[in-house]
Amino acid sequence: MTAETVVPISDLRNSQLRFRAMESGHRACLGCGQALAARLVTEAAGPDVMLANATGCLEIFTTPWPESSWRVPWMHSLFENTGALASGMEAALKAQGKSTKVIAMGGDGGTFDIGFQALSGMLERGHNVLYVCYDNEAYMNTGIQRSSSTPHAAMTTTSPPGKESMGKRHLKKDIISIIAAHHIPYAATASVAYPSDLRKKVRRALAIEGPTFLQIHAPCPLGWGHEGDQSIAVARLAVQSGLFPLIELERGRLAGAMPLRDVRPVAEYLKAQQRFRHLFQDAPRAREELEHLQALADHNIEIYGLRGDHPDKLDSEGADTVRRGGARWA
Amino acid sequence: MALILTRGGFSLPGTSINFKTGTWRVQKPFHRHLSAPCHSACPAGENAQAWIAKVDEGLFQQAWETLVAVNPLPAVTGRVCHHPCETACNRGQFDEAISINKIERFLGDEAIEQGWAYPVDKPRKSALRAAVVGAGPAGLSAAYHLVRLGYNVTLFDQLPEAGGVLRTALPAYRLPRLVLDAEVGRLLSVGIDFRPQHRLGRDMSLDELKAEYSAVFLGPGDQKSREWSIDGVVQRDLHVGIDLLKEWVAMGSVPQCTSAAIVGGGNTAIDLSRILKRAGVQEVHVITHQSLPGPGIPKEDAMTAIPREIDQALEEGVVIHPHRGIRRLILRGEKVVGVELVHMKKMDKGGKKQTIAFEGTETVLHVDQVIPAVGQEVDPFGMEDLLHHKHAFDADPWGRINGRDGVFVGGDARSGSSGTMSGAVGDGRRAAEAIDAYLREGLPPEEDTTPTIAFGQLNVNYYEHAPRQQEAVLPVDRRKGTEEIEGGLSASQVSLEAQRCFSCGTCFACDNCWTLCPDQAVLKTKELASDGSHYVFDFDYCKGCGLCAEECPCGFIAMEEEI
Ligand SMILES: Cc1cc2nc3c(=O)[nH]c(=O)nc-3n(C[C@H](O)[C@H](O)[C@H](O)COP(=O)(O)OP(=O)(O)OC[C@H]3O[C@@H](n4cnc5c(N)ncnc54)[C@H](O)[C@@H]3O)c2cc1C
Ligand SMILES: Cc1ncc(C[n+]2csc(CCOP(=O)(O)OP(=O)(O)O)c2C)c(N)n1
Ligand code: SF4
Ligand code: SF4
Ligand code: SF4
Ligand SMILES: [Mg+2]
Repeated sequence: MTAETVVPISDLRNSQLRFRAMESGHRACLGCGQALAARLVTEAAGPDVMLANATGCLEIFTTPWPESSWRVPWMHSLFENTGALASGMEAALKAQGKSTKVIAMGGDGGTFDIGFQALSGMLERGHNVLYVCYDNEAYMNTGIQRSSSTPHAAMTTTSPPGKESMGKRHLKKDIISIIAAHHIPYAATASVAYPSDLRKKVRRALAIEGPTFLQIHAPCPLGWGHEGDQSIAVARLAVQSGLFPLIELERGRLAGAMPLRDVRPVAEYLKAQQRFRHLFQDAPRAREELEHLQALADHNIEIYGLRGDHPDKLDSEGADTVRRGGARWA
Repeated sequence: MALILTRGGFSLPGTSINFKTGTWRVQKPFHRHLSAPCHSACPAGENAQAWIAKVDEGLFQQAWETLVAVNPLPAVTGRVCHHPCETACNRGQFDEAISINKIERFLGDEAIEQGWAYPVDKPRKSALRAAVVGAGPAGLSAAYHLVRLGYNVTLFDQLPEAGGVLRTALPAYRLPRLVLDAEVGRLLSVGIDFRPQHRLGRDMSLDELKAEYSAVFLGPGDQKSREWSIDGVVQRDLHVGIDLLKEWVAMGSVPQCTSAAIVGGGNTAIDLSRILKRAGVQEVHVITHQSLPGPGIPKEDAMTAIPREIDQALEEGVVIHPHRGIRRLILRGEKVVGVELVHMKKMDKGGKKQTIAFEGTETVLHVDQVIPAVGQEVDPFGMEDLLHHKHAFDADPWGRINGRDGVFVGGDARSGSSGTMSGAVGDGRRAAEAIDAYLREGLPPEEDTTPTIAFGQLNVNYYEHAPRQQEAVLPVDRRKGTEEIEGGLSASQVSLEAQRCFSCGTCFACDNCWTLCPDQAVLKTKELASDGSHYVFDFDYCKGCGLCAEECPCGFIAMEEEI
């Protein structure tokens, strides 16, 4: 059955009950987690914002000259200076007496690695900016190179499994603790699998005067090796296994964590992705790395106190619960 | 003046809207309605998913109207149906099934209380006339649906009141007569011409009916008890189970005894066992060669009585002897003083099902009544030449009797019927549709072949665990008279139950696809889209990633190849 309405589709596009800051027609891959995340962030933020966008997939796929998907003022920065650009935009708006919020956006490469110094400076100077990191755990736009965000044991083109190592040798950088150590008012992690929670955190951050930070786990079907239709399922398993805890930190202190009531084995998450394929060979090294990743998840569960105790809800406090008529939780 | 673009405004050529990513697509999403298991399993043909949706929206009257478009007796089925819908309910594989039967009862009761009118127009005077014989659930349903289809209906029953078995044999503690009277009374007043105390074969013949009416529906039920004896021996003071039950239901009394053994595993046996207990019989035994129903017991091996009723009988002190048969009646003179029991089981023997007795397992049970409740068959009176000495009518599921134009049959009297009230209601509806088709010289409507959605086709990550709402049940020591044993659910409980429903196979406007499409290729509509949902796909931009299909909680979106 094909759906038809009497209303022309172009009119429908313009009468959706949400702010379409990021328009259709962008060139992201099928099922791109980052595209979804950026859409959710900007739609929650509303029209009174300006964006500073680091080089990376998001910048490339939304804005191929001469077109752009953005319906809000948007400025592209270098890979390494988004924090500095956003600081300048904020200072200029302030000088004009405007209350428009600045949102800086970058990938994990642009945030954890190459733009980190500018970001740290922005936080230290106390600019009134929300910095959003779309964490797809590698340099995806240039063809899947490892970043300091790439998880331990994951395969990238620069961390191939082989004799020397089972994928990336090092650990994923604990960026949220480093950010929180700047003693900023609000820092949080979110996931595209929990859109209500994600939007809530955007609104919470924007309501705060001062630097805030959001790290969003955003699957990359191409780089992680799964079908586009699995993006949410994979992101959900990352949370449910404890590998990607959803937490909030205020002034460096843990202020909230989404409890896991039905903890899933890490192997379930890993199995869904080709980048961890080598961990499922019948070899002692593979088994050891599997256990290692499980231990990392267990460690998260322990330090953030993720294990909930009420069997009456899913592991999201209802954040992913849907209801008739679309009344979501946030 | 220079053009000023407002914030959020844009110039079309400068935006990516200009770029139609829909051209990348090799597969596309489409909305696909599947039948919910509760719908597929209902013998009456009700679509519980649809009316539960209305309850969830707070539209109780609309919910009832949707329900009675199929089953006009929800206050009754809401009490006596064995609810296979709940057994099939997908939610049962998540935590506990939706309390569908109790929501149905609530709606039925609410309609009576509020006086909601059946959504039926009175037939025109000039419309064709149909006769319905038997005012049990099958006949009532057929009459009602014929009126809905615009026919003038005359409904005959040999008894002074309508209801069939519901009135003559169902104990009031299961079905209060106030409820039965109210619902059947309201149903008859939709414009059915009811003629009580008219017996086919005595007051009118089938030929007369055929001459006077354009079509005839027969719903006579099973009125004759099956013959029973043990190797040709019967006691002199034989009482048949169904007769005792009817006596108690009508008069409130049964012949006194101190202990009794009832033979049979159906509803009559169980209902009788419980009323004997109420009548003061100290020891009541039920002897059946079937099993107690339970997990892992195949349906064909289990007692046919409703499991819930069996449980309540056990609670009330009835002793059930499963896998047991009677080898010998122990008589003193012509009076029974006991039975010799033996372990028995129905088994495959040379390709045939046979009840086999196991030697060496004989025991003696002393009782002063042995009461057969081994089933009924059609009373051929007035219908002899249609029955051909069979115990039930041979007819297809539409009630069409082979070679008999214009005569239709349904309910217990139809061979292959489910022997349940909801089955009788379904038979009546289907027969009405078949009659309508026959009179229009067309074919009956096609069977609905929509596939049923399985639990695995849902994405249950979006549903919360929530306990099933429980009704109040009368404690055993207060189950004496006719007070109803099972309570109903309150309006707020019913709403909570409706919220638990997964809406299997039908969009419930949860917004998930709209929220999760990375390409904003799901658009929301205020008006209903043509498929009944509130969403359309924007195929100019949909890349066909399949995320929406994967994440739709209720399985309403599927992908299909394109090109
Ligand atoms: C004790 C007992 C308990 C039961 N409990 C349940 C239960 O809990 N749940 C459930 O789903 N089912 C139950 N059943 C089965 C259910 O009652 C029947 O399947 C259902 O009533 C069949 O409906 P019907 O309309 O075909 O026949 P009936 O209900 O038997 O109605 C037939 C009607 O036709 C009339 N009639 C017959 N012959 C003539 C004639 N020649 N002329 C005029 N009128 C005639 C009769 O008077 C009667 O009113 C029970 C049955 C019994 C006996
Ligand atoms: C200084 C500099 N080095 C390298 C590049 C090439 N480059 C462009 S995008 C990109 C990868 C971006 O990775 P990330 O920040 O994680 O974003 P993603 O593409 O994964 O979303 C690289 C290495 C560049 N543009 N500038
Ligand atoms: S969850 Fe709802 S729609 Fe699904 S089978 Fe149960 S009652 Fe029917
Ligand atoms: S999620 Fe969007 S792009 Fe993907 S198949 Fe569905 S409508 Fe198309
Ligand atoms: S995801 Fe929700 S809104 Fe979309 S089709 Fe499925 S039930 Fe309807
Ligand atoms: Mg990246």
